[in-house]
Amino acid sequence: MNFLNLAMLGGLAAGAIPLIIHLFHKSRFKVVQWGAMHLLSAVLRTNQKRLKIEQWILLAIRCAIPLLLALMMARPMWQGAAGLLGERPTATAVVLDNSYSMEAGHAGTSNFSLARDETQRLVGNLRRGSEAYIFLMGEDTGLLDEPTRDLTRVTQALSKAGCGYGMARVPRALEQVAGTLAKMTEATRQVVMLTDFQRVSFPRTEDEALGQALKRLRKLPAPPTITLWDVGVEAKENVAVESVEFSKLMVGIGQKVQLRANLHNFGDSARPDLRVTMKVDGREQGTSQVSLGAKSQGQVLFSHVFDRAGSHVVEISTEADAVNADNSYLASIPVREQLEVLLVDGSPGATPDDLKSATGFARIALSPFTAGKVEQADLIETTVVAATDLRASQIAGAAVVVLANVATLGDAPLKALEEFVGQGGGLLVFPGEGSDAAWWNGPFAKVAPLPLGARAGDLKEGAPTMGVLSQRFEHPALEMFNDPRNGSLAELALKSWFQLKPPATTGHPTDPLVMARLANGEPFLAEKPFGKGRVIACATALDSSWSNLPTRPVYVPLVQRLCVSLASNVYPPRNLRVGEPLVAFLPADAAGKTAKLTLPDTSTVDVPVVSQGARGVVEYKLTQRPGLYTLLPTDGPPVHFAINADRAESDLERLSPSEIQAMAKSHGLQLVHSAAEFKALENVQRYGHELWRWTLLGLLALLFAELLLQQKFARGGARS
Amino acid sequence: MAHVSDFLKPSDLQRITNLQVLARQVVEGFTSGFHRSPHKGYSVEFKQHRQYVPGDEIRRLDWSVFARSDRHYIREYEEETNLRSTLILDRSGSMNYAGTSAGGVTKYEYATKLAACLAYMMVHQADGVGLTTFDTQIRRHIPPRSRVSHLRVILDELEKGQPGGETDLGDVFHELEAKLHRRGLLIILSDCFGEVASFLKALAHFRHAHHEILVFQIWDRDELEFPFKTWTQFDCLEQAGVKHLLDPAMLRQTYLENLATFRDSLVRGCRRHNIDLVPFCTDEPYANALAAYMTRRLGRR
Repeated sequence: MNFLNLAMLGGLAAGAIPLIIHLFHKSRFKVVQWGAMHLLSAVLRTNQKRLKIEQWILLAIRCAIPLLLALMMARPMWQGAAGLLGERPTATAVVLDNSYSMEAGHAGTSNFSLARDETQRLVGNLRRGSEAYIFLMGEDTGLLDEPTRDLTRVTQALSKAGCGYGMARVPRALEQVAGTLAKMTEATRQVVMLTDFQRVSFPRTEDEALGQALKRLRKLPAPPTITLWDVGVEAKENVAVESVEFSKLMVGIGQKVQLRANLHNFGDSARPDLRVTMKVDGREQGTSQVSLGAKSQGQVLFSHVFDRAGSHVVEISTEADAVNADNSYLASIPVREQLEVLLVDGSPGATPDDLKSATGFARIALSPFTAGKVEQADLIETTVVAATDLRASQIAGAAVVVLANVATLGDAPLKALEEFVGQGGGLLVFPGEGSDAAWWNGPFAKVAPLPLGARAGDLKEGAPTMGVLSQRFEHPALEMFNDPRNGSLAELALKSWFQLKPPATTGHPTDPLVMARLANGEPFLAEKPFGKGRVIACATALDSSWSNLPTRPVYVPLVQRLCVSLASNVYPPRNLRVGEPLVAFLPADAAGKTAKLTLPDTSTVDVPVVSQGARGVVEYKLTQRPGLYTLLPTDGPPVHFAINADRAESDLERLSPSEIQAMAKSHGLQLVHSAAEFKALENVQRYGHELWRWTLLGLLALLFAELLLQQKFARGGARS
Repeated sequence: MAHVSDFLKPSDLQRITNLQVLARQVVEGFTSGFHRSPHKGYSVEFKQHRQYVPGDEIRRLDWSVFARSDRHYIREYEEETNLRSTLILDRSGSMNYAGTSAGGVTKYEYATKLAACLAYMMVHQADGVGLTTFDTQIRRHIPPRSRVSHLRVILDELEKGQPGGETDLGDVFHELEAKLHRRGLLIILSDCFGEVASFLKALAHFRHAHHEILVFQIWDRDELEFPFKTWTQFDCLEQAGVKHLLDPAMLRQTYLENLATFRDSLVRGCRRHNIDLVPFCTDEPYANALAAYMTRRLGRR
């Protein structure tokens, strides 16, 4: 019990007034010489005891009235057990929503800056010695690493905090806060979440997860009070570049790259002439106008030809609106000058040009300009090596290794090959006359996508051939053959092939994938991920001995696509979502050195290059901020990483007030909308509930009771 | 019918100390409107003639009969039926109460003045009047006489006496009955406080002796209404040392109910014995008492 107006408690002395009046009256009595004593005595005889009790009751009530009045004016507060802790320092965890939707706002003030200011004030108002911890929901990390009692440091850090980060994941944030709160020492704990109640941050599907997180918070030894603070206003108008799609295959110099930007207008008003710009490496390379209706989506297509190799950055952006973070979308596109393909020939010819060799046709198909002595540059540079001469060093220098009609490999080359694929290399395997099923299904089985079965078909002239099933291809290497103008796999006629045993699907991501099938349903091309790389196996030979493959127009694009597709996997991904770790492979000699990484805010950090296998590896995990990350190795070209935020935040629609209420109610959370409300709530929590209403009711009740009892008592002893 | 005395409040008459003057004022004011003179009531009604026998008073001979018949006849009249009233005045302590609304007139004073008025009127009507004063026992008994000089004796006694002591109506009345040789009208001026049963029993005793009884019950307004508000100590007038300190407001209702019961039992008892019980309050004019007496007096005829 506390009193807001302690001075008024002095009024309790007024409780003595009725007593004094009573005693005064009793002492200042009148003396009457009374005759009719026999009438009075009879009354007194039967009622004296009752009268005394009644007098005491009345006196007690009369004394209680001024007491209660004084109590009411002293404004008592009831706080239960919490009251004992009211004046103590608290442990406060603030969950601050800095997802980029908070960038929206009203009249030039973003919702985030409102929330940040309120948080600063909240932290500033904390009792001296309180612990504070600020969790930034958009970054999924604390503002400071640990809770601190240095509140000035917190407010200073807060003033530097910004918005425009990732997505707000409420249950996840609360889970993390629960973990941090457990480490805090103060027993009076509170969790305050300042958020804009964006609908996407509170999906129904996460309701259970939210409940779980809250449960965890409440199970803490000293459970915190949990308050939701609704900040900011709804700003619906927002256009987002939701994604940019481009071919996942390796891009070479002079090749035309098509980029498709998906735009989404989340607002209620149409955007008839929305300007969309494409910038390549910071230079504007194309603009387009698109008309977007209210709450509708649209696409803009851009194409670009890169004239030099290296890492390029494409940025597609729209006009600025309330939320900046989703106005542009970055794509990092590596352009390769050359792609080294190592052709391992199981039946090499006398010269590399020998078309009788297993790789003769393939070598020409992969680098046709070189073979044709034409001035134009090939993307792919081939090296042919006999299977027997294969060395580990040759494998490490290639992007893709092609095994053609290789019977067996020695242990050392096989191990090198496994390591190569495991670290992201590509392997393309074609069987042939010399193929050894025992080796394939034995030492090589770990790498081979599918076990090698019996050989089928007949090489005799006029024997029936096997075609390839016409189907829609999902694999990026074969996607282009969905368009008949690019050639058709159906032209192929296989005289002989190996039956690749169809995989038993387990649903695991490392399951072999059948890319194309023969007309009889047997696999024609199958792919399997191995480590970080991939392996593709074909059912027939690479040369013309078993099929008409090399003589068909589809041959050149097929082998090129297969190689490029495998090579495209060599590099760790450069287009990432916020929070995904950024990884780059550097030459082995870079290991042990440090590389510079330029962050989206143009600041630079040094990252160590770690030796991993035959490579140096750079890994950077703090990618909560969307934007362009540029890695500058000590020697070598810069590498760009485009980190884009999840566009789910772009839909600025908020939960309706009733939904917010309902959610807060169902989870038993307190909800405030302003600093004043929060202050009032905090007061109630700290000092308890004001009781004057109850005191007033009690007072009135006593007044009535006094009146009624007095009348009743005066009438009273009738039943004597 | 309005009388001059209607306007003479006890408090106004308080200053008249001479009871005779007071009584004359009240009674003559009261009777001035009556057409029937008290002297007319003197009995002269003829009863019969009888033969003269020696020893009869000569003056009682009916000379006109003798003239007609030459015989001596004596004229006989019906005997004079003068009313013999006895005023029985309560001198107990409880009669000494003077309430706030009565202007300082005690019940006893009121009762003596009332008695004086009644005696005056009775004597002037040639009725015999006596006086008995009592508290726990009979203090003074003056037998009824109708002489005017007798009035002096009664008024002197009324002026002399002072109230005090307890009341025991029952015993006193039994004692008194023995002293009343002839039947007549008993006018009891008392507050009738005490045990109702024994009081009624004594009244019944009187009735048994064929007395007519008129009870003037003297009340003070305070006793009827119990108007006290503040804490009050009630000291008993009859028994020294008996006192009660209390908050009268708390008791008023119960007191009034108790009072009603008391009065009710008195009224019922009196009615049963054909006794007139006339309650008086000390702030009422004396004339009401006289009117009550007159009604009774005429009723006896």
